[in-house]
Amino acid sequence: MAGIKAKAKLKNGVVKVKLLIKNPSMTYNMAEKKTGSRDNADFITHLSATLNGEIVADFSTSQFLSKNPIFKFEFKGIGAKKDKIELVAMNNHGKTYKGKAKIK
Amino acid sequence: MERRKFLSMTLGALALAVVPASVRAADFRKSKPDVWTTKNVMNGTKVTEEGVMSAIKALYGSNSLTMEGVKLKAPDVASNGGAIPVDFSTDKDIKSIAVFQNANPEAAVLVVDVNKYSINKYSIKIKMASSGTITIVAQGNDGKLYAAQKTLDVALGGCEG
Repeated sequence: MAGIKAKAKLKNGVVKVKLLIKNPSMTYNMAEKKTGSRDNADFITHLSATLNGEIVADFSTSQFLSKNPIFKFEFKGIGAKKDKIELVAMNNHGKTYKGKAKIK
Repeated sequence: MERRKFLSMTLGALALAVVPASVRAADFRKSKPDVWTTKNVMNGTKVTEEGVMSAIKALYGSNSLTMEGVKLKAPDVASNGGAIPVDFSTDKDIKSIAVFQNANPEAAVLVVDVNKYSINKYSIKIKMASSGTITIVAQGNDGKLYAAQKTLDVALGGCEG
């Protein structure tokens, strides 16, 4: 499954998640310079993580994340080892990126 | 609340309700579109705080910041503006937390919708076209806006490609 690479680790009741979305994160200005059209901009606009049907992280983002943006976040009170966190991101054209992370 | 505003918000809520359950979350790009189009204001070649302040106002309805309670870690000098690590955290009881900067064409970078499981400790990487100031704003459940700022030098801008 292309899109999001992620790792999750449970330690002392806290789940730490680290993830990378494969996306050029091209701003409108960069798209205009490189391709001549602002419409070619390609960046992540939203990222959410769900675990057992509950949202554990929710980010609304803009063009100014780095290329192949990296996120780290933490949560507690939910999740056990071997549970899977589902990650869904979307870019400005509505393309979805998906990934899964098994809690270790 | 003005009736016009109320109507548009209701429509927005309806639009959110029809998206599939997997992505039904707080999308601040839909609920607060003005935040993302707020331009940074340049004064000659010098960047100002104006754009960031109006973006904060567009998001939270106020921009009177309490400069405490939020930790922000970023390098003093970033050699590569294309990927600047930004770590931020807070122990306050908050609803959401947002990242702004004043070096790029628009001010907003990220808004996190906090849930009951969140430990408010995040790391991200951002782009900055030039030297500037990063502002983190956390919306407390007590109605206060807690904030932290850090000014850094960027050796090589990240938005030129």
